[in-house]
Amino acid sequence: MQSPQIPPPPDPAAPPARWFLRGMRGAVSTPGLVLVATFIGFGGLLHDLAFPIGAGLLSTLLIWALPAQVILVGGLATGASPPALAVAVCLSGVRLLPMVVSLMPLMRGPRPRLGWELLCAHFVAMTVWVEGFRLLPKVPEEGRPPYAAGLGLGLTLLSMAGTAIGFYLTGALPGPLAVALLLLTPISFAILLVRNAKQSVDWLAIGLGAAISPLVANSPGGLDLFWAGVGGGTLAFFIARHLPRRRA
Amino acid sequence: MSLYSTELGAMLVVIFFGFLPNEVWRVLGVLFGRRIDPGSLWMQWVQAVATALLAAVVARLLLVPSGALVALPLSLRIGAVASGIAGFLALRRSVLAGVLTAEAVLVAGAWWLGISP
Repeated sequence: MQSPQIPPPPDPAAPPARWFLRGMRGAVSTPGLVLVATFIGFGGLLHDLAFPIGAGLLSTLLIWALPAQVILVGGLATGASPPALAVAVCLSGVRLLPMVVSLMPLMRGPRPRLGWELLCAHFVAMTVWVEGFRLLPKVPEEGRPPYAAGLGLGLTLLSMAGTAIGFYLTGALPGPLAVALLLLTPISFAILLVRNAKQSVDWLAIGLGAAISPLVANSPGGLDLFWAGVGGGTLAFFIARHLPRRRA
Repeated sequence: MSLYSTELGAMLVVIFFGFLPNEVWRVLGVLFGRRIDPGSLWMQWVQAVATALLAAVVARLLLVPSGALVALPLSLRIGAVASGIAGFLALRRSVLAGVLTAEAVLVAGAWWLGISP
């Protein structure tokens, strides 16, 4: 489905505030809608695990990476120790580094400033990364930092609204719809994994990570995700390196 | 009484055990982005670990669920996610189409089985 995104008119003289607002408007799109839906699911999960809503909203604003948020909140509910969860959160966030590195040239603008770069980088997660590559090339270079910040903040605010809606909706929904809300998170993660898998190492990592996870469930210190991630990922990495190369 | 059962305690946990360990990658990307080679072996390994970790999160949510999802039979949980992936692949690789397919299967299945969490 294509979103009816109108490319901003070429107007390099527009003040930064206008580019910021245009960025926020760019957040209302099909990918934005899918994102909000997954955060409604996250809100339902918060409610289900009896996690305080204020801290849940803060996690959407500050962490702004759903896998990390689910690892943290889900892990706390199973009684994992916070330091072990911090390790798992940190490992899950690794994918953000190449995203920031590849998108930063489009967000930096003609006069790079560290503050703007850090602000823009904070909003980089799956949706901003994909949408940034789609929308930012149409924005004149001067307007790119405020446009990227507006896009990121717009998506964040929509997702925070989704988090709150999910939290307060779960209790009011009939059974089948409430479970549908809760399963939104694993469904969207599974689809995103398949979408992003390009090489054999990706498929191996998906298969091994999923297969090891139940085997190491309830491992001491709440380190099950750590073992599944590091063990499965390392195995996938070495197996893929010893497979005959199909792609350069 | 655990640390995260109060609003303030949970916020502190979110900041110190969620925000900081996650944000460090974004800051590193800004500071050293021009010097990091995303194609290096080290980054390939790191990517594989991150992918396996995400797959493990999905598997844990599906296989060892908590809360209301326990009421769903395992076959329905896995069937819904599998049909979502099938829908995504069949319908022009649209994430929205995949999510809607999975949700349709799930709601129909849960309604058929008369599940109420």
